[in-house]
Parts: sequence; C-alpha cells; structure tokens
Amino acid sequence: MRVKRENLFRLIEPMLPHVEKPSRYLNHEWGAVEEQEGPFHVCMVYADVYEVGQPNLGIAILYNALNKAPHVSCERAYLPWVDMAALMRKRNVPLLSLEGAAPLASFDVVGFTLAHEMIATNIIETLDLAGIPLLAEERDEEDPLIFGGGPSVWNSEPVVPLFDAILLGDGEEALVEMCECVRTSKLEGVSRQEILQRLSEIQGVYVPSLYQIVHDNTSTRWGYAVPKEGSSAPSVVYKRCLPDLSVTDPVAQRIVPYTEIVQDRLALEIQRGCARGCRFCQAGMTYRPVRERPAQQIVQAGEEGLLKSGYDEVSLTSLSTTDHSQCGYILRRMNSDLRKRGVRISIPSQRMDAFGAEMADAVSTSRRGGLTFAPEAGSQRMRDVINKNVSEDDLESAARNAFENGWRRMKLYFMMGLPTETDEDIQAIPAVAKRILDIGREIGGKGVTVSVSVAVFVPKSYTPFQWVGQISREEAQRRQQLLLSSNHDRGLKIAYHDSGTSLVEGALSKMGRDGFDLIYRAWKNGCKFDAWTSEFNLDAWNAAAESLGFSLSDIATETFDIQAKLPWDHTSPGVSKGYLQREYRKAMDEVTTPDCTFTSCTGCAVCQTLKVDNVLMGVRS
Amino acid sequence: MTDVQIESVAPGVVEPAKKDWRAGRPQIQPEIMTERGAEIFRLRVAYKKDDRLAFLGHLELIGTIERCVRRAQLPFRVGNGFAKRMGVQFSQALPVGASSEAEYFDLKLTKYVDPDEALDRLLSATPPALAPFAASYVDRSLPALEAWLNAAHWRCDILGEGLRSDALRWGFEDLLAKKELTYMRGDKQKVVNLETTFAGYKISESSSETCISFELDTLQDPRAALRPAVLIYEAQRIAAQAGVDGLQGIDSLKVCRVSQAHVSENGLLVKPL
Repeated sequence: MRVKRENLFRLIEPMLPHVEKPSRYLNHEWGAVEEQEGPFHVCMVYADVYEVGQPNLGIAILYNALNKAPHVSCERAYLPWVDMAALMRKRNVPLLSLEGAAPLASFDVVGFTLAHEMIATNIIETLDLAGIPLLAEERDEEDPLIFGGGPSVWNSEPVVPLFDAILLGDGEEALVEMCECVRTSKLEGVSRQEILQRLSEIQGVYVPSLYQIVHDNTSTRWGYAVPKEGSSAPSVVYKRCLPDLSVTDPVAQRIVPYTEIVQDRLALEIQRGCARGCRFCQAGMTYRPVRERPAQQIVQAGEEGLLKSGYDEVSLTSLSTTDHSQCGYILRRMNSDLRKRGVRISIPSQRMDAFGAEMADAVSTSRRGGLTFAPEAGSQRMRDVINKNVSEDDLESAARNAFENGWRRMKLYFMMGLPTETDEDIQAIPAVAKRILDIGREIGGKGVTVSVSVAVFVPKSYTPFQWVGQISREEAQRRQQLLLSSNHDRGLKIAYHDSGTSLVEGALSKMGRDGFDLIYRAWKNGCKFDAWTSEFNLDAWNAAAESLGFSLSDIATETFDIQAKLPWDHTSPGVSKGYLQREYRKAMDEVTTPDCTFTSCTGCAVCQTLKVDNVLMGVRS
Repeated sequence: MTDVQIESVAPGVVEPAKKDWRAGRPQIQPEIMTERGAEIFRLRVAYKKDDRLAFLGHLELIGTIERCVRRAQLPFRVGNGFAKRMGVQFSQALPVGASSEAEYFDLKLTKYVDPDEALDRLLSATPPALAPFAASYVDRSLPALEAWLNAAHWRCDILGEGLRSDALRWGFEDLLAKKELTYMRGDKQKVVNLETTFAGYKISESSSETCISFELDTLQDPRAALRPAVLIYEAQRIAAQAGVDGLQGIDSLKVCRVSQAHVSENGLLVKPL
C-alpha cells in the first residue's frame, strides 16, 4: 500500500536540539516553493548533507522546471548527517522531503543526482532511510519511480539496479516529459512495466531493466548491455541536448539558504559545454557542444538575481568561463555595476594565459586573495599527452601577470598517474611550481606563496583514456614520495589526495552492473559519506571486495582492449568511439588537438549525432 | 533568594515586545546621527525569531538578516575592509533552539529612509519567522548593541513527566547559594557568576507534572553568559545528586527571550527603542 502523504515535521522537530547543525532540516528558506497540491509529486534528492547538495545547480534547474510544469509539484530532500540518521532510525522516522515534510516513499517520483561515483552508498542509504525497496525489481505498483541523472551517468551500470530510469544529458525538458509520461500513464491506469516501456521511448532515457548484460570475448570482463529480447528499447541511448541555452532561465538558484553552504553565492550558468578537449576530462567530452548564453542576458540576470536573493557574491559558472566569447565585456560591465554595492564577482576557473590572469584581475577587489590555476601536468610532454594546450610560456606569463597585478598567493592543481607518465614528469611538477614561485618572489618578494595540490588520475568513461588502467595504490604512494623528495624549496607547499579514495573511485568507474554487489556490501559494512575524508573507510571497501572475490586494485588498474565492447557503450553522450580512439592514439604520440570553438571541427561527432551545434555569441580569442 | 518578583529587578521597564512600538517612539533628528562628517544613520530594528527558525545559529541568523537587508534595498553602509562588510550590529546571541519576541539589529544607512518605510521594506524581504516589527533611528554614539543590551527577560517551559516545581526552586536556590555555575561548552569550561547574571525568577503557579513554566531575568556578564538551558540542566544535576526528586523526567525545553533592555550604571532600565 502506498505510504500516506502527510506533513511529519512534528516528528523531526523534537530531534533538532540533539543534532549537529539543525538548520540542515528546517526548510522554509527564502525562495523555496511552498508545497503545492500537485496532484503529481516529485522529490529531487541530492544524497549528501544539505550544505553540499543545496548549491547543486542541476537540482535547482530541475526544481524550477518541474514546479513550472502544470499538475506537478517538486520538493527537495537531502541525506541527513549520521547523527540525525541514527536518531531517525531509533525513533522510526522515515526520510522526509524538506518543503512538505512528507515521507519520500509517498512521492510519485524520486529523482537522484548522480554527482560522482563516491555518492553510490549514500543513494542506498537514502532509499533505506526512506523505506523504499532498494532494488528497482523489488518495487511494486505503489512505490515511487526512482530516476537518476547528472554528471556521473556515463558509467551508471554499477548503480542501475537501484533505478527505474536514468536520464542522460540535459534535464530541463526531458525530466518534465518523463514526469508527464508517468503522470498520464498512471491516470490511464497502466502497469509499472508499461510506464517503464513508455519512458524508454523518450529521447535520453535509459531504462536499465529493459537491458541484459552479455559477457563474451568481444567485451571486457564486465560485459556489455543489449536490449532484452522483445524489448523495443534502443541499442544505444543518446543523451538529451538542449540546443539553445538562452531559452532557459539564467537564474536557476531561487532558494537562499539559512546556513552556510559549500558554494554560498548566486551562480549563473553562462555557458554549457567545453571543447578544449582535455583527454582526462569526462565533463569536457560529455557536455558538448558549447552553448554560450548572451552577455546581455547574463548581466541582467546577475542584477535581478542579486536583488531577489540578497547574495553578496555572484559566480559565473561553466566548465571554462573565461572561454566565453564575451567574457571580458560581461566581467567589466558587472564589475562596474556591482562593486559599489559590496558585491563580489567570482569565476571558478582561470585560463592559463595572460587573458585568464587579466580576467581574474577584472573581478578582484583591491586586496588580492589567492589565485588558482590548473596546469594538470608538470612537463610539456605530459601536457601534450593530455591535450592541455598550455605552454610553459603561457604558464609563466599568466603567473607573471598575476603577481604584477598584486596577487601574492597562488594554488596550482596537478594530476599524477596519467598515461605514459614517467618519474621525470613527476619531478617536473615541483620544478614548474618552483619557477612560478621564483617569478613571484622576483616581483612580490618573500611574502609570495605557491601551493601545489596533486590528485591521482582516475580514468573515466567517454574520455580518450577510458581504456587506460589507473596506477596502483602502491605506485601512487611511491610517486607521492618522489614528488615530495623532488621539492627543494621549503616555500613551496605540496599536498596530495588520498590514494585510497581514488582507488575506490577508479574501481567504480571501471565496473559494470556486477559492481552493484560491491557497493551494496560496502554499504552493509557501514560505508556512507565516502566523499568525506572523515567518513571514508578503505578497509570496509576492501572487505566488501574480498567477500565477493574482487580486488579493488585489480579492477582499477585493469587496461581494456581498445576494440573491446565497454560496459557503458549503450549510453552515449554523442561523442563517437572512433574519435575517442583517435584521441587516445594521438595522446600516445604526444600530438595535440585544437578546440573546435577556436578553429574548425575536430570530428568528435556530437553535432552530427545529436543534430546540434556550438552556439557562440562572438569570436573566441 | 526565593521567587524574586521580576518587577523588583526590572521595575516596570522590561516589558514584552509590543506590536505597536512605532507609536510614541522618540523621534531623533537624523542630523545628530552622522559619522565622521559623512551622513550615516543608525536604524534600530526589532524583530522576532520563532517557529522553526529558532534553530538558526547566531552566524546563520546574521547571514540571513544581511541578505534580508540587501533584498529590502536599503542604502546600507559598506565597510572599507577587505571583506566589504555591511554595517550592521546584532544583540547578544540567542542559544540555538531558543525563540525570541524581541531581537534587535542596528543598521548603518548612508541615506535617511523613513523608518516606517524601512520597516515595510524589511518586512517584505524577510521570512515570516524573523519578521521585523519596529524600527527607529537611535543616537549613533551609543555603544555596540551587543554590549549595550545587557538585561534579558526569558520565559521557559520545562516539559516532561513527573516534574515538580519545588524541585526546580530547590535547585535554583542551591545554585544561587553556590554563587557560580561551571559547565562545559564543547571543549571549553565556562564559569558563570550567578551573583552578577542571575537576576531573578518566578515559577508559574499553573505548573504541572508535565510542564513547569517560569520566568527568568538575566544580566550580561562579558566573561560568560547565563543560558536558561544551562541553568535548568544544572539544577536537574544537583537535584539528582542531592536525591531531590522532580526534575529527572525532563524531556525537552522551550525557551523564549521575551525582552531585552539596557541597565545603566545607576540601575535604570532603558528600552532599546
């Protein structure tokens, strides 16, 4: 029987004095949509705590789109922190939505953001706390339909047993269509199975239960998915792509939180997609083509969004903000309008050249804080392999420009474990950072600091490195020590990421549907909030793997044959396999590929496959 | 000290916040509120904090009010520091979970705005549970609001089973005799001087076995503030230690700051507005 829809805040309120940060559970924020009558109820879930999930732009966009749709009301839910979850279980209180404080199990649709691989155990935790059957196959006609979507759908197989449907690509229109399909189908009284069949007919929707996994000698050990016999589901589901970003609302975040959240500012999505072609970058491949929003729309949206929200900072977000053809105009215009009101403008990433430093300067206040650049690799050879089209001169001129403009702190992001990497490439990381530090000292004196952060490279699906094995944990630790011992300047601060987290992320990025057993066992072993350093438990993950006869290291380090059928081949962002194979070979030959928004088409096939095009508002330079 | 009459501590001055405070408030001329030659006006705003927003922490409250001021489009002063902060001061932090009928903030404005208009604009930009209900200009030379408002009147309900108001009275009197209260806040030990902070209490005669209601007056001590919940739980602890029955069944507390005021050096109580 369907769980009754009712407001149960009275069950949460007595627990608030006993938990950390009760403001996570309050709702009633400025701009939140008051509970609507529906009659069709959707709950969007970010399976982490409020302050991590609330800034998510994707959920904000979909929340607005669904609440605008007739007959549909959309609410939000986040995963309670461990103290609250323990209390809720003790008092037998199920997970509730924020707006209506209604049990998640009472909704028609529950949608999850697949934000990254390490959120997998939190999705199980959420469903369990909500009292919703974990597996799609266990749910009956009365249970909500569980949807997934977001940036990490490109190898969704390890988590698909949890989902009824997965949306690939842009959700503004597609999710509304999906909910409308479910609503009208329910009104017609059709079965859950028929609803799933109808959902699979919407472009961009992958219904896992309509596919079976085949293991043969043409595939990796994880097999590949094909439509079940008799199913009309497509053999390859291509993503949904919104051709024109300017038709969407540029101010997605209408809700102003009470508590401090991880990105506590108004975010304006100024473009979607990036065509730089960095070969390690999944988002760069899966969000194509590039769609710029017009400058005037951005400036107006900033003005309006700040007035309505009361924020004192606006962030111009995208994968490569300073690539927007009107970036200079936008920043100068917004800066002149907003600075006198005490409003800050921020850009999440700076281009590694003089223009990037100039743009950083354009948005800074009189006193400089820190500036972040991401060279990704220390040597020019390695940067050519990963197609990070940045030369040593670019790097040095960006740094010189920044220091001359008064910046005194610089942070540099690198990766280790990239394909073809040698010890010389590792040693080049502190060497290049030292050159930047020397430039800084030459201009700014002893007060200049340069810090380096090095992550372990994790190969991801739908990148030219999807066939590559990750380096082992032991090798990562050896290279980390080499990195530290290669640094001879105490003024240079070097930090590196935990290789254990990267190992689990690497394994989950490689596995097919069989990977679900690993995730489930890990959750049973107590794993949750795996993206939190304080909560991550590698021993529990290893124990889960061993109990299933797996080795996390073997899985993560495995190299796939470049011709093999892959576990994710049936869910495509439109980038052709031939392009990825060519890019892989060019990487091995240390040959770079230009950005098609600056030059001409480089043959990734997205535009032809999805019948879209890059949308630029001016000439990029 | 037993059942001290609140009136004897705060004679007729500390009163619950009223909705009609706009009427009869002192009209201070704007020109006396300028700062360093620049026209800076100090607008004092009274607001409530109730419903579920009682669970906002003080920093969360500050951030929320600042955003309300921006949404209200009042001409607030921006500081000259690196962070370009809004010129705003708040009254002393409320404990998380405590509601209030009388909170205050002082907002520095660069232009004179009619206080009624400012109040209307704030009201339309503020969540209902933090609704402002009075606004008036005050002398800019007054000390910082947090230090100036040094007296508070509280209403507390202790909810539970098998409660006895005489046990609470016994606990309070025992604490007053000891003159100080020590408790841990996180990793820090706090020592509250009850002679300077515990100004009086009055237990309601309608208290029952499931709810003890009482009123409490506190005075500010910069070294450590007296929090009603701390006082109650300490009374519970010492009552249990002494074998006094009647406070062991406490389930939850409802604490509300009913009013705040300034006690001058000569003992006069001054309303914030």
